[in-house]
Amino acid sequence: MTVKVEKIEGGIPHNTIMVAGLIASVILIYLTYANVLTGTAYFSFFGGLATVAALVWGSHAIKHLCSYGIGTGVPSAGMIAFGSGVIAMLFATKYGVAAPIVAVIVAAILGAIFGYLANNVLSMRIPVMIISLIELSVIGALTLMGYAAMMTGSFNLTALTTGSIAILGMSLPSYYVSFIGGALIATVFMLGAIAIQHPFNACLGPNWTQDRMLTLAAECGFLSMIVAAIMSMALIPMGAALISLFVAVIGWYYTYAKYIELSRRDAAAWLDSKPIPDVEGQ
Amino acid sequence: MSAVAAKPTAGGAMDVTATIIGIIILLVVIALTYFLVGPGLAFMALIGIIVGGILVAFGVHFVPVGGAPAAMGQAPGIATGVAMLAAGAGLAGLFGGAWAAQTTDNLLVIVVTGAVGGGLMMAITCMFVTFIYVFGMGIPNASGKVAKDPITGDTQTEYKSQGTEGHGLPFISYVGGVIGGLFGGAGGTLIYIMLLNLYNEELPGMMNALPAQVLPIAVTLAGMFAIGMFLVNAVLAAYNITGTIEGPHDPKFKRFPRAIVASAVASAVCGIVAIMIVAV
Repeated sequence: MTVKVEKIEGGIPHNTIMVAGLIASVILIYLTYANVLTGTAYFSFFGGLATVAALVWGSHAIKHLCSYGIGTGVPSAGMIAFGSGVIAMLFATKYGVAAPIVAVIVAAILGAIFGYLANNVLSMRIPVMIISLIELSVIGALTLMGYAAMMTGSFNLTALTTGSIAILGMSLPSYYVSFIGGALIATVFMLGAIAIQHPFNACLGPNWTQDRMLTLAAECGFLSMIVAAIMSMALIPMGAALISLFVAVIGWYYTYAKYIELSRRDAAAWLDSKPIPDVEGQ
Repeated sequence: MSAVAAKPTAGGAMDVTATIIGIIILLVVIALTYFLVGPGLAFMALIGIIVGGILVAFGVHFVPVGGAPAAMGQAPGIATGVAMLAAGAGLAGLFGGAWAAQTTDNLLVIVVTGAVGGGLMMAITCMFVTFIYVFGMGIPNASGKVAKDPITGDTQTEYKSQGTEGHGLPFISYVGGVIGGLFGGAGGTLIYIMLLNLYNEELPGMMNALPAQVLPIAVTLAGMFAIGMFLVNAVLAAYNITGTIEGPHDPKFKRFPRAIVASAVASAVCGIVAIMIVAV
């Protein structure tokens, strides 16, 4: 028996967001393949945009699941999303150019099995459990692949494990200076896992509105993208990393301003308390 | 999640059909791995991963998870969710185990070191949680689920405030937390060390490099897979106890057979994917 505590009223239906998020993030990850075609790394920022698309979809998927009151807290949904997503993503990178598609398929299979286990073996009996865990696994895999594409300019296992280090003007191959060998994947794991669960955790409640939560999700995505862009300076040419950083900062500023505006719209009242109050009589 | 949100009242009984289907999936995955890679290191890795996953899920049932009600002094336990506590204990254990793996090849020593790391982390957490409850919030430690502490025999009811399910961290919950940390740390480390041995063996041939060169790749791959599987098992166990549990004396603890089946299947499915990355 489950009790649904909140309903989605109005706004964009969940299926539209799901389809749009899936298509957008897969296409954006594939746009980074232009790096290989042109021999540069300037198209890496598309990977970051793919993570934003996936995270916006992800925050709504979490809303869809957690509105049933799963009792374990919203962060646990983000953790299982990235826990299963990282397994699918690392496996899929073996398949070269087909990696994003393989990641979606493997993640969907993993999510379906976990959903079945949670719903039937553990007797959760939540109607959207299976489909939600499928979605969350796919989101986790696509987000991590987006970060990988953004920080290395590619999404196959060789590029993720092999970097180069310049010693005395010579470029030597190094496994330490790479996305996986340098454990940057652990950092983006947490960047994504926090960004996916925060929007619903922050916006839930009786005055939840869809556009405010989705704007916050995009804002969290761009904020994580800023950090990822800074980390990518170690792996891709500085010019390409600065483009990523520029796109991320612009996107973050726009969504942040939009989110503040929507929060003021939804608030009963607000007072602009200045950070440092003016002391009178001086 | 809001504290007042209605929690699903998942029953204590096992769903026989679903359990049998789960066991069939488990056996199919084990058989598939055996046919694909044979009875070598990779197959042993899968068995190790399944055992490690079961240890993690079983350990989560010991940890006193209080959630938001505990933060308000209305329920016993540590005032956060399973995902955070299990990740903390598991990662602390993983660090301990990974450190031991650098110095020795003895599996038992590595796993025990991981267990000590996880148990130590939970012991420190429980101690400071108790300090904050007693000296910061001014609440006594009292269980709401049992009349007497099963270990010390102290009575609980006269210390329990009306309208609450107990509060603070009773002694049995403290002990449960440490036991849970030991199991979680041991399970996480077992998954890590099994994958690390496999990758150290297979990656040099696959990537055409020396074993010393691929060591960072092997460590990170094994670590990330271990973290992923750890979180999956911890969250599935959290679903089983529907969020909060007091410790081994809680009636919800009796639900653990379901979680063992679920985590065995989940670990096997994750494990075959993690093995396929090098084996096929």
